[in-house]
Amino acid sequence: MRIIWKALIAGTFVITGVAISQTNSRRGPVFTKDGDLVLPTGFREWVFMGGPITPNSLNNGEAPFPEFHDVYIERENLLYYQHHGNFPEGTVLVKELVLTQKGKYPDGSVDSASGRGYFPSELYGLDVMVKDSKRFANTNKWGFFTFGHKAPPYSSSTKVMSKAECASCHIAGVAKTDMVWVQYYPLLHANLR
Amino acid sequence: MQKRECLTAIFGGIAVIGASVALFQAQPVVAQAQGSAAVFTPDGRLKIPEGFRRWVYVGAPLTPNALNGGKANFPEYHNVYVQAQNIDAYMKTGEFPEGTVFVKELTRLLSPTFPDGSRTEPSGRGFFNGPFNGIDLTVKDSKRFAKTNGWGFFTFGHHPLPYEATAASVAECAGCHIANVAKTDMTWVQFYPMLLNRTAGWDTPQSR
Repeated sequence: MRIIWKALIAGTFVITGVAISQTNSRRGPVFTKDGDLVLPTGFREWVFMGGPITPNSLNNGEAPFPEFHDVYIERENLLYYQHHGNFPEGTVLVKELVLTQKGKYPDGSVDSASGRGYFPSELYGLDVMVKDSKRFANTNKWGFFTFGHKAPPYSSSTKVMSKAECASCHIAGVAKTDMVWVQYYPLLHANLR
Repeated sequence: MQKRECLTAIFGGIAVIGASVALFQAQPVVAQAQGSAAVFTPDGRLKIPEGFRRWVYVGAPLTPNALNGGKANFPEYHNVYVQAQNIDAYMKTGEFPEGTVFVKELTRLLSPTFPDGSRTEPSGRGFFNGPFNGIDLTVKDSKRFAKTNGWGFFTFGHHPLPYEATAASVAECAGCHIANVAKTDMTWVQFYPMLLNRTAGWDTPQSR
């Protein structure tokens, strides 16, 4: 009888453990032993927050980020921001770049059935920022990474960028909103699911 | 506590946990069996699907009002969402399954300062998302929408939140889709980079 008891109790713990692991799907950043960031996976199934577009043609042929910037966040971190006004430790924001279809107008736009404008064509690069207040204490709690501004495949891991390359612009522009350009992402303001 | 009571409590606990795990796992299966996020009212009006902003974002054409005589057909960003299982099916077969829903949510531009609608931000001159401004939606249902190539078209308003809760299908959208994208299952796949190469996976960063 005692053995059956133990088995039942152990079984309860196993079942409970399965239930917890199924509901806890948040992944967070993965670093190598050397502190490089591993390329995030599955982010195209995260929540899309917004897609600023800086066409090359409006930026002397070479925009700092060509051209659509599609920004993704995990849902748990989005909901946390909606409640608290800042992002939790371990938040990862992914910005995937997408070129526009070649347009006939000098501004890079193209005529299409839905009107004149800008339309996505090829995937063209990946930048990532990670919130880790200990690891990135020198750059306002966030580390900045680029996996290449080019067509896939992207780099499989990459070193943190220097403060001058990415962080300084975020510090100058959006230090008060947890280093994120929240003004471009209507979902962060709308308190929607 | 007596041994018998204690055992009963444990059995009861296991039953509760077991049932909740079963329920937890059963719900998505039921939803998949139904196969569609499209929910119609008894009089045939469509409801806005819940949770569509958690679906996969596939692309956002942008037709600024300023480049379209002040009044674009779809002002201005068109953020397009579809469920992952329907992308998986499309990548395998080249067609979207019955019940597939595409949601197109519109957003305005953030305060333009140039005549073309753009503004200058630290990342350069360009266009930035402003407030939400409407929802259009397509549903694949080859019986219900046989007259329009198997797809129905709906609009829940081109205006700020809140949107209309339900909508009747509209005829004026199908003509343009039939004229331009009948060969790609009525969908503008050329604007959605993840869908362009069906021999590659779409959901890993090394594929496109």
